[in-house]
Amino acid sequence: MAEPRNLSRRVFLARIGVLGAALGGGGLLTRGLLNPADAATNPLLPPAVDLVRPVLAALARDTLNGLTAFALPGPDQYSRTQRASSSTPGALDAGATDFMINALDNFVPFPDALAQPISAALVTGLADSGVNLPGLEVLPAELRSLDQAFAAVLQSDEAIPLSFPIAGLLNLMATQVNPAAVNGPHLSPFARLTYAEKARAFELIEKTDSDLVALLDVQFPEPLKASVSGLLKFVGGALIEFATFGAYSEYGVLDRSTKTLRRRPVGWTLTGYQPDGPVEGWDDFIGYYQGRKEVHD
Amino acid sequence: MRDVIVIGAGGGGPVVAKELAAKGLDVLLLEAGPRHAKPREEWSTFEEDANNPLTGYFRLGPTDRSKPAWYREWPQNSFVWQLSGVGGTTQHFYGNYPRAYPGVFAGYEGADRNEYDVNHRFPFSYGEMVPYFEWVEAIMPVQTAAMGTKEQLFFKGAETMGLPVQTTKTTVKASYRPQENAILQPGGTAGRTADKNLLNYPQATGCTFCGYCFQGCMRPKGAPRNQYAKRSTDNSYVPMALTAEVWSRGGKPAELIADAYVTRVHTETRQGVLTASGVTWRDNVTGDEHREDARVVVMSGGCTENPRLWFNSGLPNPNGWVGRGYTDHFFDWMIGSFDDYTGNPKGVGSSARLDYPPYGGLENVGLPPALNAFAGTLSDSGIRGQYKNGRGQTGPWDGPAGRVMGPELKELVAGGIDKLLTVLVITDDDVEAQNRVTTSALPADENGPIPKVTFQQRKRTKRTLKNREFMARKAAELLRGAGAKKVYRIDWAPLILHVQSSMRMGASEHNSVLDPTGETRAVKGLFVADNSALSNGLGGPNPTLTSQALATRTAENIFTKYFGGDPWVRTSAPVVSTDPRISVRLGELGL
Repeated sequence: MAEPRNLSRRVFLARIGVLGAALGGGGLLTRGLLNPADAATNPLLPPAVDLVRPVLAALARDTLNGLTAFALPGPDQYSRTQRASSSTPGALDAGATDFMINALDNFVPFPDALAQPISAALVTGLADSGVNLPGLEVLPAELRSLDQAFAAVLQSDEAIPLSFPIAGLLNLMATQVNPAAVNGPHLSPFARLTYAEKARAFELIEKTDSDLVALLDVQFPEPLKASVSGLLKFVGGALIEFATFGAYSEYGVLDRSTKTLRRRPVGWTLTGYQPDGPVEGWDDFIGYYQGRKEVHD
Repeated sequence: MRDVIVIGAGGGGPVVAKELAAKGLDVLLLEAGPRHAKPREEWSTFEEDANNPLTGYFRLGPTDRSKPAWYREWPQNSFVWQLSGVGGTTQHFYGNYPRAYPGVFAGYEGADRNEYDVNHRFPFSYGEMVPYFEWVEAIMPVQTAAMGTKEQLFFKGAETMGLPVQTTKTTVKASYRPQENAILQPGGTAGRTADKNLLNYPQATGCTFCGYCFQGCMRPKGAPRNQYAKRSTDNSYVPMALTAEVWSRGGKPAELIADAYVTRVHTETRQGVLTASGVTWRDNVTGDEHREDARVVVMSGGCTENPRLWFNSGLPNPNGWVGRGYTDHFFDWMIGSFDDYTGNPKGVGSSARLDYPPYGGLENVGLPPALNAFAGTLSDSGIRGQYKNGRGQTGPWDGPAGRVMGPELKELVAGGIDKLLTVLVITDDDVEAQNRVTTSALPADENGPIPKVTFQQRKRTKRTLKNREFMARKAAELLRGAGAKKVYRIDWAPLILHVQSSMRMGASEHNSVLDPTGETRAVKGLFVADNSALSNGLGGPNPTLTSQALATRTAENIFTKYFGGDPWVRTSAPVVSTDPRISVRLGELGL
């Protein structure tokens, strides 16, 4: 009775985006690469695990492009897809996606001992959602190979880039909001949503009694279980706040070695901040309110 | 064997170190994070460089910025803005030094005496605190804030509210005023020119109105460290502690070690009494552990780290109050949009305030673009126009409360960030056992099990929730009075930035960690001296002055009880932290 299991696996992988990113129309892997028969006979092909890593990275970047365009829309394709674009520069022009990936993968001091099971929960969880996903036909053999590759990535000693489970979370919620998001432009379901749908996805993440929390918690033993519930509530808020901070910050144009700006930051242009660059002071001293320079009891 | 080991060189620890170094004690001051000894080389004016909580120079982490920050568990949508490093959170603060409201102290007899957090008052009177307030105010020094455009606008709004102007240090009723702050008043060219060439010390003295308080104060350019405008402890108390021999007769300079993470407080039983005996710290760079003994140990690691250190040291917690009663002023954020220039990102971050005992208060806060964006999107009420997350309060602001983000935020700032006036809503919040620090079940870091900070923001006491709504309405009233065309309420998720009372001092042994002298009830020779020692949220005033006044009082108690000395605050005059003898000695030390 492998077929129902394969079906639900297919649905789940599609919902977190990896199936489409790997094998869907415009996917990053040719199906032959995951064909076990080819892999067995062609020693020149890299192992599936090496093929999957860049797929996960590309999927994460695409998903986060969808997030940063949500935080600060601009004239880019992601903003147009969400049907909230703008003629002035936005998050993608500001390098906010790189800001998010760099932060998540290199600086969020998130314990791998937790990232690993969350990632595992996201790829091994069974989605019995009753959501019909159109247009993805995957052969059981390909699915099995993909699964094995994920398992290998998750079990390797290398830290899981945090951007991957974050992208998985956003994509899972995206397909909850709009099942048709498994197909379309871009690589990730989240990036295919409209602005209102993205907001709806965050509403689901922020909701205190989120089904998602229950779904993921199932994978954790106590006392970690309670921690994961709380963590997801934190993550829902933090993704919005940090994407917005990054979009308006100097991240994309700051030369860290000289502590100077290569160009005027997008956030400064949009807000009119520091028209002549950094200052030592301003001529904004008016005086003392009612002329009072000191007070005493 | 030291006389005193102080754990943490933030807002509180350096006060004890400085006061006891002045008395000639052998003081070791340990700081878990970096020491920014050369800010002109290490800092900049950029939000990404300074304030990125993961990679910025103002973060919670070791000196080496290529290493990750220290992870803390927050099991709710919230942001706990901890900083490591000499100066702690005073490195990014705005230097506001209001006194706690008298109503939060024992013996208060005002007509509104029943309207405060009556079960968690300070165990002594306001009158007893006054000499310590005055002592700290003279040292910093605390002065009346200079006014810029955004303050003028704030006052314009306040003038429409039928409230008097406060012209005293003590707040006795609802009123507004310029901040009393620890920012040196502008002198010479400071505040009068934007020409870089004219803003060098001593041509310019005091605050240059640069607007970079949150990125660290290193101005005027060329000034000695102890004469930078903002009196963060790295510019005031720490320089005094390190130079005690030149300004205090019989003084002995304290020793400061940075990147020294204290992982354990040691105890021994002396004549049947559990007594602190020393500490172990870990060197962030080498990973080596060091142990040193002392007659007295002072915990000053802050509201989140002190409970963690307590738990990780296996110290007794008989009434369960270690880490409990955490107060945060349950902030909210209100943005006013104006047709005209507001001066928003210029000058001291916050130089005007409105006090409203026993509800809380308001203050203006100017922010640069990325922090402004962060502040507009931290909400417990969803996204305006999209969803409300079960909240989205309505009132005298425009539309429901919630995040101003995406297209709406872009449109809001398109007129210029200097056409906004933003107001911090400060709540007089109750001490509640449920808001607390525990040890996280998540994996430990290199310094041991990590702290978990839990705030049940939706389940706070009726009084706390009522006070917040009251002050939010007052903020909207003020912004309308100032001429705001639109007013946005964000309904902040907990932004834990004013932190108090997680190791609280109290009269009752049933709900306090510290006795009225500042010594822990469970371990003798162990004191707590920082915001966590405060008995409550002070009624809403920014906590630094009260915390430092209390730390001064605790230093006196340490000196009299353990070193046979006499108290000094009522009998001597303090030396101001800008004293030129300190500047000269800092120069000799290459600081």
